[in-house]
Amino acid sequence: MSACQTETDNLPSVGSVNDADIGKIVQQIAHMLPSQGPITVFVHHNTLHAYEHLPFSEAVIKAADDYDCHPYLREEDYRVALQSGRIAPIDLERELHEVLEENGDDLVGFLGTRHDLWMSMIEHPLHEGSEGEIRWFIEETDALYRFRREVPSSQSQESVFHIKQWLTDRAQSQSGDDCPIGSALSLLLDRFDGSQISEWAHEHATAFSLHLLWETCRYGSSLIAPATSNASCAIDTNSADDLVNDVLIRFTAAFLDQGFAHLGLPHRGRGFWQSFCDLYSNAAAPQPWLQDVARRLRDFEAEQTSPEQSIATSLRNLAVDIDSADSFLLEELLKLRGWAGMVWQMETNAEWTIHPAPPGTLVDFTAVRLVLLEAARRHIAKPAVKQALPPTPCRKLNRAFLVFQIAQVRGWSAVDLLQLTRREWGSLLAEIEAFDSRMRRRIYHQAYERHYRVEALKAIAKSSLESSRSQRTPQEPAYQVACCIDDREESFRRHLEEVAPDCETFGIAGFFGVAMYYRGASEAHFRPLCPVNIKPVHYITEEPAYSEVAASRRRSLARKAFGHTAHRVVRGSRSFVGGVLTGLLGSVATLPLVMRVLFPRLAARVSNSFGGIVADRHTQLRLESGDEESSQCRGYTVDEMTAIVGGFLDATGMTGRLSPLIIVFGHGSSSLNNPHAAAYDCGACGGGKGGPNARAFARMANDARVRARLATLGINISDETSFVGGYHNTCNDSVSYFDLDLLPPRRRSLLELAFADIEVARRRDAHERCRRFESASLAFSPEAALRHVEGRAEDLSQVRSECGHATNTICVVGRREWTRGLFLDRRAFLTSYDSTIDDSDCSILAKLLAAVIPVCAGINLEYYFSRVDNRGYGCGTKLPHNVTSMLGVMDGAGSDLRTGLPWQMVEIHEPMRILFVIETKPESMLAIMNENPTIDGLVRGEWVQLSLIDPNTGAIALFRNGKFECFEQSPADLPEAASSAAWYAGNRNHLGFAIVNSTNAIKAKRVSA
Amino acid sequence: MTLESAAWWMGIVVIAAPAVLVTAMATTTLLAITISESAIARLTQTCVVSGFLASLFEFAYMLLSGNRHIEIKLGEWVSVVDEHHMNPFHFELQFVFDRLSVPFVLLSFVLIGTIGAFAQRYLHRERGYSRFFMLYALFLLGMVVATLAGTVETLFLGWEFVGLSSALLVAFFQNRSAPVRNGQRVWSVYRIADAAFLVAAIALHHNVGAGDFSVLMGTGPWPYGQASLPSEVAIPIGLLLLIAVAGKSALLPFCEWLPRAMEGPTPSSAVFYGALSVHLGTYLLLRVSPLIQLSWVLGFVVVSLGLSTALYAARVARVQTDVKSALAFASLTQVGLITAEIGLGWNYFALAHMIGHASLRALQLLRASSLLDDQFSLENAVGGHLLHGEEPQRATPALLSGYRFAINRGSLDAWLDRLVVLPFLRVFQYCDDFECHVTSLLSHTNAPQDWSGVLPAAKSDTEAA
Repeated sequence: MSACQTETDNLPSVGSVNDADIGKIVQQIAHMLPSQGPITVFVHHNTLHAYEHLPFSEAVIKAADDYDCHPYLREEDYRVALQSGRIAPIDLERELHEVLEENGDDLVGFLGTRHDLWMSMIEHPLHEGSEGEIRWFIEETDALYRFRREVPSSQSQESVFHIKQWLTDRAQSQSGDDCPIGSALSLLLDRFDGSQISEWAHEHATAFSLHLLWETCRYGSSLIAPATSNASCAIDTNSADDLVNDVLIRFTAAFLDQGFAHLGLPHRGRGFWQSFCDLYSNAAAPQPWLQDVARRLRDFEAEQTSPEQSIATSLRNLAVDIDSADSFLLEELLKLRGWAGMVWQMETNAEWTIHPAPPGTLVDFTAVRLVLLEAARRHIAKPAVKQALPPTPCRKLNRAFLVFQIAQVRGWSAVDLLQLTRREWGSLLAEIEAFDSRMRRRIYHQAYERHYRVEALKAIAKSSLESSRSQRTPQEPAYQVACCIDDREESFRRHLEEVAPDCETFGIAGFFGVAMYYRGASEAHFRPLCPVNIKPVHYITEEPAYSEVAASRRRSLARKAFGHTAHRVVRGSRSFVGGVLTGLLGSVATLPLVMRVLFPRLAARVSNSFGGIVADRHTQLRLESGDEESSQCRGYTVDEMTAIVGGFLDATGMTGRLSPLIIVFGHGSSSLNNPHAAAYDCGACGGGKGGPNARAFARMANDARVRARLATLGINISDETSFVGGYHNTCNDSVSYFDLDLLPPRRRSLLELAFADIEVARRRDAHERCRRFESASLAFSPEAALRHVEGRAEDLSQVRSECGHATNTICVVGRREWTRGLFLDRRAFLTSYDSTIDDSDCSILAKLLAAVIPVCAGINLEYYFSRVDNRGYGCGTKLPHNVTSMLGVMDGAGSDLRTGLPWQMVEIHEPMRILFVIETKPESMLAIMNENPTIDGLVRGEWVQLSLIDPNTGAIALFRNGKFECFEQSPADLPEAASSAAWYAGNRNHLGFAIVNSTNAIKAKRVSA
Repeated sequence: MTLESAAWWMGIVVIAAPAVLVTAMATTTLLAITISESAIARLTQTCVVSGFLASLFEFAYMLLSGNRHIEIKLGEWVSVVDEHHMNPFHFELQFVFDRLSVPFVLLSFVLIGTIGAFAQRYLHRERGYSRFFMLYALFLLGMVVATLAGTVETLFLGWEFVGLSSALLVAFFQNRSAPVRNGQRVWSVYRIADAAFLVAAIALHHNVGAGDFSVLMGTGPWPYGQASLPSEVAIPIGLLLLIAVAGKSALLPFCEWLPRAMEGPTPSSAVFYGALSVHLGTYLLLRVSPLIQLSWVLGFVVVSLGLSTALYAARVARVQTDVKSALAFASLTQVGLITAEIGLGWNYFALAHMIGHASLRALQLLRASSLLDDQFSLENAVGGHLLHGEEPQRATPALLSGYRFAINRGSLDAWLDRLVVLPFLRVFQYCDDFECHVTSLLSHTNAPQDWSGVLPAAKSDTEAA
């Protein structure tokens, strides 16, 4: 390295990467970095978005290599599923057939077919390990004295007998020389008293045959040289990286800081590279390597070196050739992928933040990293004190051990194996290595998905059959409720339908078509409330009611005063003099501390009642364009409102069957001490709370001008119909309603009826959620359950305020009739769609799916990856998280910025690709896929599973291998339960499907899941 | 009479409650008995609450009876009665309830108890739940023993428990390398502090014959004791104790371990480093305050150490970008000030400051994750962005170097590594080479064996350099 160092200064850039290329390379790499922006706006997306051009099973493997992550769950996890019946052996067989196609019947030597070999490898656990572990296992356990537990005793007896027979024959024929492991054999015979073979006890003979088998496996696998592993590094790169990361993390955090530090980075405006040079070029650092860096930076400043030139120089100094430059840079950037990704996000996608990063910051970041790396590596290469190198791993013994384990379950004895030629050993070992852990996990995973898919489709088939018979949906509903499609609303809707069989529920993306920037009466900023791919043009504000304006102004001043004081106290407590004052008065803090921790609900009530003093009570939305129209307060025109209401009625299929009362619920979540709070809110509102959308929508739909305009378009809303906007908090299961004063008084009795039902439903919903919380007793009443979830939402120490989207697996797009009364265990997104009112091109469906498929797939895949590798794709456990620069979280004192979901969110998630069940015909779906490349890519790349339910016949078709296949299994014979509660009572874990038949309650029978 | 014996027994309960907890947790861990989360929680609650109530009783008793100094003697470890010597030589296990220890022990129980309740939910289903509570119990015991200690040796015992449990809690997430590395760093700093403490204790014994604070600081109840040491003895002992204090309370030049200690789960960071552990050094200083008042030199050193730490930490805190480091340095500012107050002899003021600061910081650290939420609601209340990040318009060289100093945290650790650790390592390396050379010479082998792998500690220290 030092040799190239001397040449660098005068080397022309001929033959090296040129500057423009470097910019391009860095931009390409940027797409491989985590694309999570500032954590306050959390948008669920496919973690492997950069790999979506590949089929799922290829992408996960490639990404696993690139990011050093797991592609699937661990084998142990799948084996637990196998034992608990969540995977059946037949599922494994089927998946193996599908993967192997016709190659399954190929013979491996004379030891059986490939299918059998692979099946035996997947059915029973295969242990692998380092040389030391295997040696220990062989020497210290009874591995050589007893067959594996999975081997049936008849088979083990047979192979022992076989060995004894062989030994006897061999002794008689006196031909000892043909055995390739003759010396090992004779040693063994000496040890096991080989002269008395016929008198060996069974245990003795077993031990002998296993010893012989082990010797044979070791011999056989030593015949073939193992594939060379690429684990070779001359210098300890980790310790160089530690040095670099420490400096780079601190600087990047300071550069990107959104106003946490009291003193910002000087010269931030000059860009990452310049401000780094300014800061570090004349550091009198005690660390020799940083002095090195300072010298380099001074040279750069003197020569006005651009970051691109610096990267090129560094690449040369680090002896990276042109061809491997991009992979080297990728590797380097992935070492702090969270920070690098955030730099890119702040550079490209964060113009709304206080301090976005200027273009080119990622290139600067790369340049700085390489400059630091060079110096650190030089420093590590000549350490002050000698260091030991880690031993290099060896795979040879591992292979022998694999064969040893497989031989036992397959019933191959040492004699069989000894007859193999060198070629046959080669093909056997190759065969075993081809079916490595990743391949086995792929089979397991697909079997796992298959099992659930088959059960789900059979259940939906059954449920749809039932629905046509028993008329579960009321013909003239008393009132109708529309919720977000969110999986967490599934249980809320189900309980409401159970409580009130005469109500009807709908699911529609929770912004209800109202895409807007919104600012509440006591809020400082507008924030977008709509899906992330829509850029709203409307700015809607909440204002105090006219009669309250004066009072509101007073409250606002009070709030302002409180705010300023609080801000000063917070800041002051961290400063020098202010700290003394707050420190002396700090004993007062014991009260909120103890209250908050020991009595969270009470503390919350007290603090809310204080907050209530300064909150506005009566407010209204400024919905329409006013006279003072400017870009900052553009409201809706009547035409726009008409389009929104019409679109809603079409999409849900409500047109023409409107009940007198329609309640529209937006949703969100409230939790404390939770940097990931936005990840629990409504995805359709871009990680915001959807209450204002519901409120705005109800106002529009109640508007007489809108109704008149709709009537001209053929959509009639009778004067008897009223809309009410509401908000459902999925964390504490509270509901609230907006603008009730505006409703006609004659609606009140119906309103109270509906409210009473919803009160019961939300308690039951809380109760169902509590079955997943270990700290909630299973014996809770719905009332106690509600209190419990309310406490959770206010608890500072609660890291699982709610389960979020965990366990999501299905998305149904179709009439609610198909699934009404089916227990879906909060696992399903439910989108209402009525194919009978759609046109022949399915334009309503196409519009629906354009949003539903990417959004649900994004949520599902983010949960998938965060669950299968929480360390790599997720952000690990929440406990040491440390909020940094107002942008994200680090682990502890200083680490890479952690992206993805925390362990506590995904803990109970069952990672499966989402299964779409869409009410339409195959040809319509294919047409939609043709039109929409995003959907097409997700479906054909098998990132999602797709099935269709025929609108007329209810027959199910499944998209497999590029085409729709008929799903032939007969509908499931589902258990029936009197109520949801009766079905899930006493059960914390996964539950199967059931028909909840609240009308004929007696037939309830429990079948354990 | 009966009330007096009740006070004695209650004193025993205060110490026994955490001791029972540690024993129970340690035994089950040792015997590999897994106990459920709720059982651990109940056990912890019972012990903490009974300890708290007992110390509350002591407090009430002291208020009502007017007795400001309750001693509890649990026997001697060593007792050498020497006819010719003036002072008999003894080690005694002795605890004292007085104006200093009672408020501090009450604070410890309240904070640790609250954090226990917090952690019980926070660590729910976490691997290492019982390990956390084992270390938690050890920490509690250490705090109680160190607070109530009536002799230097007893204080050292508690001090060691606190040190051990703190270092292990920093390294709680043992499968990542950063926590383990930082835990080791904390541990090494603690060792330096311990060594100084130990030498001071030996010197005391040498001079006075016993480590009892009452002998050392005169007989009056705290803070009215009059130390009776000659100042040429008091100064070196005081300086040694000051090194111990600096190590434990992260004063200069050991400041950098405090932000590093934020690796553990939030509740442990909160109580151990933000609130209690970091105050243990200043507590020791308060305990030996009569000694400091003996010589103006000591007082001066304490004040200047305290003030310079406070200035340093206040400067560094201003540029921290993550909430836990910012709170760590904010803590340090106040600890520095408290140290200075003790140097000035404002003992009650320092005690009140310490207790208030500990409570406040514990609350702030526990709700550190609410930062974004708090920021949002403050902005809403104020009705605009809170631009408290001052953007320097034109950076003067002075500003730049000030910022550089702050963001590098003064490179304290690097200087320590370079000036202290490295020379030590070099000496050891030299000895090692020499030994290898000699052994190979003696055993007539040409290649001296490479022993460097046996010294993993040395390796990671140079990495940090």
